[in-house]
Amino acid sequence: MSNEESCCSNNKLGLIYGALLLRLWLGVRAIQTGIEKFSGTKMVSGTAVEIDGKANDYGLETAASIKYYAMGNYHGVPAGLYKQFEGEPLMMGWALNIYDKVLGPILLILGLTILLGIASRTSLFLLGLLYVSLTWGLILIGQDPGVAWLGTHMVLIAMALMLAEHNRFAILKKW
Amino acid sequence: MNAPSNNHLNRRSFLQKTSAGVGAGMVLGAPNILRAAEQASNDDINVALVGFGKQGTVLFDSMKNIPGLRFQAVCDIWDNSRKKALGRIRGLKRGYTATGYSDIDEMLATEKGLDAVVVATPDFWHSPHTVKCLEAGLNVYCEKMMSNTIDGARAMVRAMEKSGKLCQIGHQRRSNPRYRFTLEELIRKKNITGQIVNINGQWNRAVKSSQDISVNPKIVPKDDVLQKYGFKNAHEFMNWRVYRDLSGGPISDLGAHQIDIYNWFLGCSPKSVFASGGNDFFTEREHFDNVMAIFDFDTPQGGVRAFYQVLTTTSAGGGFWESFMGADATVKISEIPSSSAIYRESSAPDWEPLVNAGYLKKRAALAKPKEDSNAVASYASEAPEVYDLPGGFNKPAHQPHLENFFEAVRKNDFKHLTCDARHAFESEAPIYWVNPSALRKEPIVFTEEHLSV
Repeated sequence: MSNEESCCSNNKLGLIYGALLLRLWLGVRAIQTGIEKFSGTKMVSGTAVEIDGKANDYGLETAASIKYYAMGNYHGVPAGLYKQFEGEPLMMGWALNIYDKVLGPILLILGLTILLGIASRTSLFLLGLLYVSLTWGLILIGQDPGVAWLGTHMVLIAMALMLAEHNRFAILKKW
Repeated sequence: MNAPSNNHLNRRSFLQKTSAGVGAGMVLGAPNILRAAEQASNDDINVALVGFGKQGTVLFDSMKNIPGLRFQAVCDIWDNSRKKALGRIRGLKRGYTATGYSDIDEMLATEKGLDAVVVATPDFWHSPHTVKCLEAGLNVYCEKMMSNTIDGARAMVRAMEKSGKLCQIGHQRRSNPRYRFTLEELIRKKNITGQIVNINGQWNRAVKSSQDISVNPKIVPKDDVLQKYGFKNAHEFMNWRVYRDLSGGPISDLGAHQIDIYNWFLGCSPKSVFASGGNDFFTEREHFDNVMAIFDFDTPQGGVRAFYQVLTTTSAGGGFWESFMGADATVKISEIPSSSAIYRESSAPDWEPLVNAGYLKKRAALAKPKEDSNAVASYASEAPEVYDLPGGFNKPAHQPHLENFFEAVRKNDFKHLTCDARHAFESEAPIYWVNPSALRKEPIVFTEEHLSV
């Protein structure tokens, strides 16, 4: 056995890095998606509108829209999609209502558990189930690009599960 | 302040309050002395709030943003409202407290140094309260509708002119930068609409938002108090808008705002009104729940028919807006910017120079619908281009109108008002004849008697 082989044959650093990067990516992805469900926009004072090159005398200001976060902004399923889902015969209204309420919080919780390495396998599995449910909804309304996009997420989740044994800095490792 | 007598009172008030503040300061410490000095700024406009219900609260939430106002007194017959107002004023933490009254006569007799009164009582009290305050030498901002009767409104104009004091009526769109810009720049100077030939407007409110207000009878004023102030019972007190003796009903409560804009934008009063109304849903109410009216105008440019509907049984059609339809363009305007748009007819002059100069913003064109062989489509006009105003404002809707009033008070300049009582009367007078026309089921052709003070 050469020195080179002895130093590297048992080196799992690449697998560890891979597991950590996937954990980071999937965690951040889920958390920020959950946070965005609390985002909204509002108008704020801008600068005076210029008419014929001069500030107007009427007090008209450029309408500047800013993004902000608040509990009151919460929307689990975007309004446009919600309407489309409501029109689907296979979509049960009560289930859509519950889904709308819990989607944001579930994304936040799973994102956090994945990022912090809490019961990583189970968290990844549950996130996968969530993406399966989203995929089903998008299939219903014919959003094929969205289905493909979620498919890439599923591949990443599967890879993260395969690398789970190399995960470090984790809690409830068996799970 | 504006009036010499008021200045005198202010100075006297200043001395009274600072000496009291110094006395208190000796007991409680220096900060009170500083506060007394702070509260006695002679540039402040001393304001009394008369009526602190829903609308009074809306106005206060605008006024608290206006510098230089000192809320000196609050008058409301309901303890709850009065306490709420006093609490809100304390919450401003400006180093003073207001005095509460349940009776306006007591307030006017007691309070010295007042400059202005903001009246937001039920409609049937607007005129008595406004006249009282004007006669007491105070400037008045009074909510619209001026009164529940045309004679009440006439009395307000006479009192304003006799007293020489300012009286602004709360048609707040008259001070709205978006409305003023649209009228002055786009319609009058640039004539973007061409000849206005038709007006359409509405305020449609859902059944859910039009329900009676219920309240625990234990917390409203006692019956003898209510009766003293013109309410038969607690239901009338909470729901005065639906009673004929207390209010003009939805056409005055909601419609007055927009019919005012018709008259303001056209610069004249209508020649006639023909209205229809009914109790279609709220069958027990004294006032019609749904009213439709057509006003005929003769403008220098030609005749204009103006349709208006107020429906308290549906929110259909996007809430509230006014639409001025001209040969070259239609201006649809609302207090809500997203309900506003300007539609250019395909035959109108090119608006590119207006866009380049900043008068308008062009919306991105929508994708054209697919051509089909539908025979009806071949009769349709070409879709108009859609434009927006170049900006908006980021204040509560009533704030510019209140700012205008207090600026006028500060300048003691009657001409500075955007909606003094006489101009408001000219605009409101036709509205008083909508319900009679609907009741009689016949048009009313206006004479001077109908529309003059």
